This record gives sequence, C-alpha cells and structure tokens, in this order.
Amino acid sequence: MIETDILVVGAGPVGSIAAKHAALGGADVILIDKKSEIGSPKRCAEGASKEGLKFLGIEPQPIWAINEIKGIRLVAPDGTDVWLNDEIKLPEAGYILERKIFDKHIAMDAGRAGAEIKVKTLAKSLKKEEDSYIVSCESMGEEFEIRAKILIGADGSESHIGRWAGLKTGIKPKDMESGAQFEMCNVKMEDYSVLEFYFGSVAPGGYVWIFPKGEDIANVGLGVIQSKTDRSAYDYLVDFVRTCPATKNAKIVELNVGGVPVGGMIKDLSDDNILIVGDAASQVIPLTGGGIVSGMTCGMFAGEVAAKSIKSGDHSKKQLSEYNKRCKDLLDDKMKKHLKVRNYLESLSDEELNSVATAFQDVKFEEISTTELIKKLVKVSPKALLKLGKLF
Amino acid sequence: MIVNEWCMYCGECAGVCPRNLILLKETDLVFDDFRCNECDICIRVCPVSALKK
Repeated sequence: MIETDILVVGAGPVGSIAAKHAALGGADVILIDKKSEIGSPKRCAEGASKEGLKFLGIEPQPIWAINEIKGIRLVAPDGTDVWLNDEIKLPEAGYILERKIFDKHIAMDAGRAGAEIKVKTLAKSLKKEEDSYIVSCESMGEEFEIRAKILIGADGSESHIGRWAGLKTGIKPKDMESGAQFEMCNVKMEDYSVLEFYFGSVAPGGYVWIFPKGEDIANVGLGVIQSKTDRSAYDYLVDFVRTCPATKNAKIVELNVGGVPVGGMIKDLSDDNILIVGDAASQVIPLTGGGIVSGMTCGMFAGEVAAKSIKSGDHSKKQLSEYNKRCKDLLDDKMKKHLKVRNYLESLSDEELNSVATAFQDVKFEEISTTELIKKLVKVSPKALLKLGKLF
Repeated sequence: MIVNEWCMYCGECAGVCPRNLILLKETDLVFDDFRCNECDICIRVCPVSALKK
C-alpha cells in the first residue's frame, strides 16, 4: 500500500492548485487523475478574470492566456443588443484561456512544488480506517491502494469521492446545467475582445455564449436546465449555430459537453480527514456558470488548510473547518445573490427580455460587472425591482 | 443501460444519479444496473442523448 499525507483526486486546475499549496505547506502529496492527459478534453468556456488569477498568484502567460477580454455584448431574443465596452471600467475583465495548456501548467506547478502526479489513475472506491482514508485505485491494469491522512475530492461534477465519504455532493437535475460547446473557426465577430451572451428560449434555463479565442476563433456554447426542456443541449447548440449570423458559416473543430453545477455551494465541504473542492463542491457562480477562479481559490484554501492540519497532527472535521469558513466567507453571500438573480432571469419570457434590452439602450453603465448589470436591471424593470431590489 | 458510441464520457449522468451508481472512467461508463431503480434521470440529462434503456 502507498502511504501519503494528502491524496488529491482530480487534476483539474482546482485539484492541482490544492496539491500545489498542500506541497508548499510541507505535506507529502499525491495527485491522481483518471485521464491520460491533464486538461483534455475541456469542459469549459475558458474565461477567467484577471483579478482572480492575480489573487491566486498566477502570472498570465501568452501560451495559455490567449485572448484578452475588454467588454461584453448582451443579446436579447429579438436581436436587440447591449454593448458594454470602451470607456467603461473593467473590474471583471479577463482572459480566454487555452485550458489544455493552462491545466497542465497548474499541474506542473504542483509537481514542481513536490506533489507526485499519477495520470490514468482511477479512484474506484474508498474506506475510512482510523485516522485515514484508503482509496482503491486502478492504473494501466494494476490495482493498488493509497492510504492518506487527508483526502481532497476534486473529481468534478460527477464527484464520487464526496458521496462515498457520506457528504451530500450529489447534484439535483434542476441544479445541473447541461452544457454543449463547439470550438469554431470562421466565426464573424464584430469585436473579438468582447464576450457575447444570448438569452431566452435559445437556451432554456441558461444562455448561449460566444467566447473569442482569436480573430475568427471562438468557443460557441450553451447551457440548458434539462428539467425545462425535452431537447438536449447539443440539439439547441446545433440550432443556434445554424441560425446565428456570427456562426452560420463557421466551421467546427471541437465538440465539448458536460454538466455545470449551478445550485450553489454545498453546505458541508469537509468532514474528518476529507475536503471537497471545485465542481465537486458546486463552487461555481450560479449566474454565470463560471467556476475556474472560484474553484481554484477554494482549492488553494483546501491545500493550505490540509497542510496545516498535517503539521498539527489533527485531521478532524473541527481542524479542517477553517476550510469551510474561508470558502463561505468568500462565496456564500455572492452565491445567494446570484442564485436569486438566476431564478429571476429564468422566470422572464422572451418578450420581457426584449423589453429589458430595449430599456438598457438608454442606460449609462459605469463599469462592466455582474453587480453593475443587476443594479441597472433593477432600475429599468419594475419586476426586477420587486424581486431583487433588496439584494443590490 | 445502453451507452451509445457517441457518448463523450463527460460524467453529467454520474453527477445527477441519485444513488451514485455510475462510475465514470476515461472512456467508459460503468452502471450498477442491479441497484438502479430506473428513475431515468441520467438518460434525461445527457447533453448528447447517448444513453438509452
């Protein structure tokens, strides 16, 4: 049996940054991933904020921060659009990443910090034994066990680790956004430094995004809440790209699919000897579905708290509760607000969305941020004022 | 459960399975058919409609 202080299951950027900070804190760390290549296939629109990366101490590199974003365009069902760019402050500006490179870069950071990395290694089951977890693994036809004093579950929205350990990480269908995305070339964008969002019945319960990766290259994707429709996310995407002026002559070079947990962070993020991070803990911003920065920040917290716990020799739920507190301080309030806004937006018909977009034509925006958008929404829509007025 | 060849192994079905009965491998889905109560949630959420009974 292999013995280690900390075992991280899942080498996405959240698991990798947890492993990195755990190793930097002096712990013996093993990071495993079921895939043969870290970062592929992506399940992500690849947007990340500058401020978020800075907070994480990650210096953007041109090889993976491939396009700088300077604005957004919101498009209503009737085509009325709202441009937020140029002379507006950009507190939430950011980059489009090349996740296949970024994820490896973060895993390499973990490796350089001292974590051992095992690819093509599947966690098949686990059992609690005294003050540790024993995880049964399979890799290249070989079965073996890893005993860890602390287990970090970073195994994505399909998380088994949390549920095997008795934590409530399962996701209800109403809280899982079903996503499909094409990476395309020959996309006709008016400005490839602007993120485009399309709302309404093009994507029930979600929205369509066009995230530019280059002059004519973009991730074109959407999320739908499957309980609101009988059609698949893929079917909606095919319809959209056939009819949208920007994409009807575009060519598909990649298809990505996957679920995004948008129901808000789970309540219990840890227990004795275990922490849950990233999509596995639903650390995704409900309104946008963005989870890179929020998940990685919590991943960093998890690594730091786990290393501290190893040093102290106390791996109890109480000792690990610092992780819960730091995550909740960071995300709880934001999650609650965004959930309410999300529920409100889901309740709007196409006609109501058109009215909001029309009303936005005369609004002067001071900055590009979700909060600013909601504040202005409350000003132009009496229904929004009623539902969201107290939040912002 | 029949997993059609266009399954992309994204794991969304595994995430919503209320009994945690679907194990996602890199290019395989393993269903515990014996314990499945046929709620069909996994079939309904699949983004590419790759699952059927």
